[in-house]
Amino acid sequence: MSASPAALDERNRHLTDLLHACAQGRQAAFQELYQQTSPQLFAVLVRILKRRDLAEEALQDALLSVWRNAGSYVAEKGAPMTWMVSICRYRALDMLRREKREVSLDMAREDLDEDGISEQEAVTSEVSVSKAEERALEDCMQRLNDGQRRSVRLAYVDGCTHEEIAARTGSPVGTVKSWVRRGLESLKRCLEAT
Amino acid sequence: MNYSDPRLQNLLAGEYVLGLLRGPARRRFERLAMGSRTLSAEVTAWEGRFAQWALRLKPIEPPGYVEWRLMGRVRAESRPRGERLRNTFWRSWAVAATVVLAVIIVTEKSTPPAQQKAAEFALMADAKGNPLWLISVHPEANRVDMKAVTPNPVPAGKSYELWMIPDGGKPVPMGLMNETGQASETISADLVKRLAGAKALAISLEPQGGSPTGQPTGPVLWVAPLVNT
Repeated sequence: MSASPAALDERNRHLTDLLHACAQGRQAAFQELYQQTSPQLFAVLVRILKRRDLAEEALQDALLSVWRNAGSYVAEKGAPMTWMVSICRYRALDMLRREKREVSLDMAREDLDEDGISEQEAVTSEVSVSKAEERALEDCMQRLNDGQRRSVRLAYVDGCTHEEIAARTGSPVGTVKSWVRRGLESLKRCLEAT
Repeated sequence: MNYSDPRLQNLLAGEYVLGLLRGPARRRFERLAMGSRTLSAEVTAWEGRFAQWALRLKPIEPPGYVEWRLMGRVRAESRPRGERLRNTFWRSWAVAATVVLAVIIVTEKSTPPAQQKAAEFALMADAKGNPLWLISVHPEANRVDMKAVTPNPVPAGKSYELWMIPDGGKPVPMGLMNETGQASETISADLVKRLAGAKALAISLEPQGGSPTGQPTGPVLWVAPLVNT
């Protein structure tokens, strides 16, 4: 469910205030920021890393980096939550390379919708983006072909490599690479036109 | 590759955000993006476009100890230079531990020989190292003693609650702290056993009467390592 624009603005303002307070070294503000954002960030990390212990480590590291770099956060870097999600995702991707993906991809994923995010997941989060932005991306995603759509989602949501996407879609790596490129180009064109 | 081509820039930024640029290509792109407003704006734009997928995942509550460890690392980093210890949460407590040892020696000397000896101690101290409480665990008596070294008034409508931080797992409530003098809490034999493997004790600020949820709900004010004797 989408938050109303006013509630979303309010939340973004509050998270921005907390980040500013963190930049001034206020630990209580950081603790509140952690309490408000960690369940969503942890979900992102668990989804990519597939292992709770790794996700816990990534969450600590990423949030410590948020604390250290809170002073560099500006509105141009996106909404506070977007900025924090990105820090977490990049940390998780670094860890995946470090772990050399010794974790089996099939582990702990029986309850996950293969193609990205299920409707059930879509309605449970209280943190969200505006309805218009949400619809724009989904509309534009519908214009991609199946392969393009799945490739982009598997890469973003699950942190899959080209090779892993190839294995999961039963397609050659070269095909996956061109799906991603065409998908990105088409998405950008479509989103800028709306 | 001609990195000034806008079409290529957009594509690379998109692949970077998806996590599909790996190894040297990823590092090269990061260097380029740091020096280019256009490129970093492309990255931010893609991050913003896709973030809604991350925000629509069903939230998962991380275990309580992640917060405790993280706050410990933040506190350790916030100390003045010179005193600062890096690396792990636990290492950062080395300074506090030396203070605890000094206190234990004094305490043991002044304790009447007939009194049962405590097996574990923790000293709660403020950010400047001033002692607030000395907490001792008496395993045979299933008892925890809390001695307020100085008066520690609680804000109106609030209580200080003591928690055990196990080595893995959630904090376990151990009772409310006294503001002055000496107080004792009776604890279960099971808790005594778990205390032997615990890393630390912590005190949080809770609504009067203690946390309504069984887990800390307010800010964690003090943390101290548990020292076995």
